[in-house]
Amino acid sequence: MSKPKVAFFDFASCEGCQLNKLNLENSLLSILELVDIVEFREAMDDRADEYDIAFVEGSISTPTCVERIHDIRRRSKILVALGACAVQGGINALRNSQPAEWVKEVVYGDDKYLFPSIPVQPVSAVVKVDYEVRGCPMSTPEFLHILKSLILGRKPEIFDHAVCVECKSSENECVLETGMFCLGPVTRAGCGAVCPENGQYCSGCRGYVSNINTDGALEMLAENGLSRLEAVKRLRLFCSSELVELDGVK
Amino acid sequence: MNQNNFTSLRQLKKVFFDERTTRGFISFLSDRAKVIAPCKKGENSYSFEYIQNPDEVVFDYPRTIQPLKKFFLPPRETLFNFNTRENSFSEPDIESEDRIFFGVHAYELQGLLRLDHCFEEGHPEYNYLRRRENTLFIGISYTPDDWHFSRSVGIEIEKLEGFCLYFEPLDSGFLVFIVNEAGKNLVELFGKGAEIDNDENFALVEKNFRVKIKFHHNRLPQVFENVYYSKVWEEISRKCLGCGTCNLLCPTCYCFDVRDEIELDATTGKRERFWDGCMLNSFALVAGGENFRDPLSSRTRHRLHRKFKYLADSAGDLFCVGCGRCSKYCPAKINIIDIINDLIGDFAGQQKRVLI
Repeated sequence: MSKPKVAFFDFASCEGCQLNKLNLENSLLSILELVDIVEFREAMDDRADEYDIAFVEGSISTPTCVERIHDIRRRSKILVALGACAVQGGINALRNSQPAEWVKEVVYGDDKYLFPSIPVQPVSAVVKVDYEVRGCPMSTPEFLHILKSLILGRKPEIFDHAVCVECKSSENECVLETGMFCLGPVTRAGCGAVCPENGQYCSGCRGYVSNINTDGALEMLAENGLSRLEAVKRLRLFCSSELVELDGVK
Repeated sequence: MNQNNFTSLRQLKKVFFDERTTRGFISFLSDRAKVIAPCKKGENSYSFEYIQNPDEVVFDYPRTIQPLKKFFLPPRETLFNFNTRENSFSEPDIESEDRIFFGVHAYELQGLLRLDHCFEEGHPEYNYLRRRENTLFIGISYTPDDWHFSRSVGIEIEKLEGFCLYFEPLDSGFLVFIVNEAGKNLVELFGKGAEIDNDENFALVEKNFRVKIKFHHNRLPQVFENVYYSKVWEEISRKCLGCGTCNLLCPTCYCFDVRDEIELDATTGKRERFWDGCMLNSFALVAGGENFRDPLSSRTRHRLHRKFKYLADSAGDLFCVGCGRCSKYCPAKINIIDIINDLIGDFAGQQKRVLI
């Protein structure tokens, strides 16, 4: 059996998720035993025509991105979105709430006409995404779980429950007890509750559980002392494309 | 009623330990077994930990974050390791070491005794029962805070069942009540502490619960039989975030999920079990994508029926022990006492209609 061909691509992003993979130093050699990496701009120059698994980082933010992602999708058997930008639009999507022309002017000044741009979208808004690895940066254990599952032909098991589950399992002191607010109760687990474990509130980088109770979340944040405007901003930080219906900020 | 709480205590033999002696006693216990006791965790929280130094032990604490469950049903454990190439598997050894749990509140141990029922009945659960062997529990009194309500579910602060010794704080130290033979042996071996004559007067401070359920606990299963279609469930689901904190901190919740994780060699791996909860999205999700308890209202209803009806019917005891964790740590500030009292209100309303 030949090894599956794997490729990595990036769109609008900080490329941190890709770097995060290179940080898997202890596992990299084992990964290379299992797969053939045929394209990975961050780490090598080679190119290929077809991929068994394409990992895509970053959000879709220009007309060129749309063409490229269609092209990648056509040549890939399985496409996996990596990280908050690819899965939810991420921080990039915040610009959607500002007037497009104004944003372009602030960033490019007089040259704004040289840089065509469209509203930021997650990869799944443009092409079919088979699996998602959430997080900012993406969670490496989840990435490895998906990679191993796909190689073995199993369906990856992805959690759809709150960060609280992982936090309580490790018996962390609840950050709410220390007077902070926290988005952990509505944010999807899979990160090992790394922020609350280190005394920091969860800012929701992994997106929300599939059945988020938005009103309940706003009520909780109000209880924690956030104004409605602040609460909406916090909730939309990484997920503005998922929570478009939230009023209060435009 | 509170006057009678102390009658069971008054009949017991007792000794007096001042605080230094008590810490010395913990040291003495540490020479004999692993000692687990409440310690400070973070800024405002406590947790049961293995004790290295008796000075770490906190005597006066409201509740720990996790109940004792974690020592018997760990949040995550490997059930077996496998090798797909050799088609073999091996189970990890579960050591049954001597463990003494010091400074345990009555509701805490009652929670554990209820878990015992669940893991002993039917198909006995080896891992849990093995860890449960060779354990001793030393109780301590506590002052109820805004969330404790164990008296409302029939568990007094001084409930002695399962303890070998029971510590009641006085101004200058502790009255140590000798509950059973094991406790007597420990105190005799330790050989310190002043024996107190049974007739001697000692002032035990009566403690009141700040919150309570409106009905006697005997009536709660009957209430729950009649509130399945109550509006209360819908009302709670407006606030509830479905985070599962109430499940994960409950002393009598024991549901778990099982998952196989394979190593990068694509050959070896392990089957792990980890805590799950009926408030979580995938708990009632079945093949084909159907979720038979999709709305949060039906999940809360199920959770509370487990505590006050289903398990109470099969085991004979309520499966809520009144520790108050689900309310204290609920990020949406949902209080179980309010839910139950609202349900009781609903039930009482129904009864009135029947009478008219």
